[in-house]
Amino acid sequence: MLDGKLGRAVQFAMETIVAAATIDNAESLIDISFAHIDSCFYSGRAHLDFVHYLLENEATLAVPTWTNNGLISLNDLSIRDPLASTEMNEARQLMEAYVRLGCKPVWTCAPYQLPGRPRFGDHIVGSESNAVSFYNSVIGARTNKYGDFFDVCAAITGRVPYTGLHRDEGRRANMLVTLEAIPEAIKSSDIFYHLLGHLLGRHCSHRVPLVDGLVSTITEDDLKAISAACCSSGSVPLFHATGITPEAPTLDRACHNQVPEQVIEFGLEDLQRARNELGQDSDNPLQGIALGTPHFSYTEFERLVELLQGRDIAPGMVFYLTTSRHVYEQATQQGWIAQLEQCGVKIITDTCTYFSPAVNGLRGKIMTNAAKWAYYAPGMLSVQVVLGSLSECVESAVAGEVQLDSWTVS
Amino acid sequence: MKHAKEPVQGRVLVSGLASGSAMILDETLSFWGGFNPINGEIIDVHHPQYKQRVSQSILCISQSRGSAGTPAAIAETLRNGSGPAAFVLAKADINIAVGVMVANRLYGLNVPVIEISLFQMAQIDNGSNVQVNEDGSITVI
Repeated sequence: MLDGKLGRAVQFAMETIVAAATIDNAESLIDISFAHIDSCFYSGRAHLDFVHYLLENEATLAVPTWTNNGLISLNDLSIRDPLASTEMNEARQLMEAYVRLGCKPVWTCAPYQLPGRPRFGDHIVGSESNAVSFYNSVIGARTNKYGDFFDVCAAITGRVPYTGLHRDEGRRANMLVTLEAIPEAIKSSDIFYHLLGHLLGRHCSHRVPLVDGLVSTITEDDLKAISAACCSSGSVPLFHATGITPEAPTLDRACHNQVPEQVIEFGLEDLQRARNELGQDSDNPLQGIALGTPHFSYTEFERLVELLQGRDIAPGMVFYLTTSRHVYEQATQQGWIAQLEQCGVKIITDTCTYFSPAVNGLRGKIMTNAAKWAYYAPGMLSVQVVLGSLSECVESAVAGEVQLDSWTVS
Repeated sequence: MKHAKEPVQGRVLVSGLASGSAMILDETLSFWGGFNPINGEIIDVHHPQYKQRVSQSILCISQSRGSAGTPAAIAETLRNGSGPAAFVLAKADINIAVGVMVANRLYGLNVPVIEISLFQMAQIDNGSNVQVNEDGSITVI
C-alpha cells in the first residue's frame, strides 16, 4: 500500500495509519473487521474535498463500513434543506459521496441496534462517541475513539495501530464505582442510567471505570444511555459493570486481578446534582419534546406507543423523535409509525435534532429523555432543556406543560 | 530562544517547512468547538487567549486536546488560509497530525507538525520569529 501500487488514495491512507502508529509508539498494526465512520458528518468544505480526493484516486474499502448520522436527512430534505444553503447542499453531497465510496448507508449513531453488529473480541473502528463506548463496554468489541479522516483511512487499509483499547492491558478496570446508597427502585428507572452516565463522564474521564451494583434487569437501552451520557460530559470509551458487561463477570476479572486505583461512591445527592446540571425547569412555557438521542430503538418505540396509546399531544407542542432507517422500518411494520404520527409525533431518520440549524419549532423550553441531548442542545440551539424520564416526557407532551413525578424532583 | 542560539531539535510528526512568529498557547484548546476555522480565532470563552488569532503563527501548544472533530477543523482552517504556519506540540496528537496531513495533501501545503519537550518549549519566546525545518529543528531567524 505504501509504495503507491494500489493508488494514491490507498497510499495516503496507509501513510496516515503509519504516522499514527509512530505517534502512539505502536509496535505493530492490527487487522480490523468493521468500521463505523463519522467523516460523513459535514462540518466544512475540507470534508467534501477529502472524500472527492479518495474517489478520484480510486480508493476502496477493505472492511464493511457503516455511516454515522449526517447533518441532513436524505429521507426528508425539508428537515435541513440542501437548497437553502451551501452548507446543507455540501452536507448532502458528502453523504452521497460516502455511499459511492462503498459505505453501507445506515446513517445512525446507534449502529449496534442493527443486525450484523460486531461480536465480542472483534477489532473494529468506531468514531461516534456513544457507539465507541457501547461497542467496547456492552459488546466487548475493541476500538479506540478515532477522529475524522482517520476512521476512513482505517476502513481503506483495514488496519489500525495496535494500541490503547485494542490491547488487553488497556481494558483493565482501574477505578471502582459503587452505588450502595441508591435504592433498587431508582436503579430500575430509565432516567437513572442517563444520570449515572453523566456522573461517569464527570468523574471517570480517561479512566476505565467498573460500576458495581447495577440491577440484572438492565436493558440495552439503559446501557445505551450510559454510553451516550458518559461520552458527553467526559470521555469514557470503555466502562464495565459487574455481572452485566462481558468483560466483568466478577470484580477481579474486570480489574485483571489487580486492585483498582480509586474507589468512588455515587449517592442520591450526586444523581440530583447530575439532573440539575442537565437542565432545570422554569416558568417558561414548554414548546416541545425531543427523543431519540442516540437513535430510538425498537423497544423504546414499543414503550412509547404504549404510553401514548389513544392520547393526543397538546396543541402547538412539537414532538420530535429521531431513529435509524432500520428501526423506522421495523416500527412501520408494527403500525407504530402511523399510530405515533396520528398522535402528533414527527419522526426523523438519518440525523439528530440537537445540531444546528434547529429543525422547525425547536426553540424555547424543550423536554428530552436523553442526557446527551440535554448536554449539547443548549449550546448548539440556544434552547432551555428539561430532562425527564420517557413517561415524564409523554405526560408533559399530553398536558402541554412540564410534568415531573419521579424521585429527583426537588 | 532565550539564551542558547542552538536550534531546538524536535521529532517530526508531519514534515514541512515554515517560518513565522511563535504563538505559545497558555492552555490546551479544542479546535472543534473552541476555535473558528473560518478566521482562525480562538472562540472558547474560557481560554486565556480568547479572541486571539492563530493565523500564520508557529503555534506552540504545551498540552493538546484531541477530539474527533479536530482533524476536520484543522484541515478547514488550513484550507481557508486562516490556520497556523506550523504546529509545535509538547505532546504528540494524532488528531492534529491527521488534519495537517490531509490539508497538505489536498491543498498542496507544506505545514509541519513537530513534537518537542516541555523544557524545549520553555526556551521559545512568545512572539519571537522562528523557522521550523524539515528535519524537525526549530531555529531563531
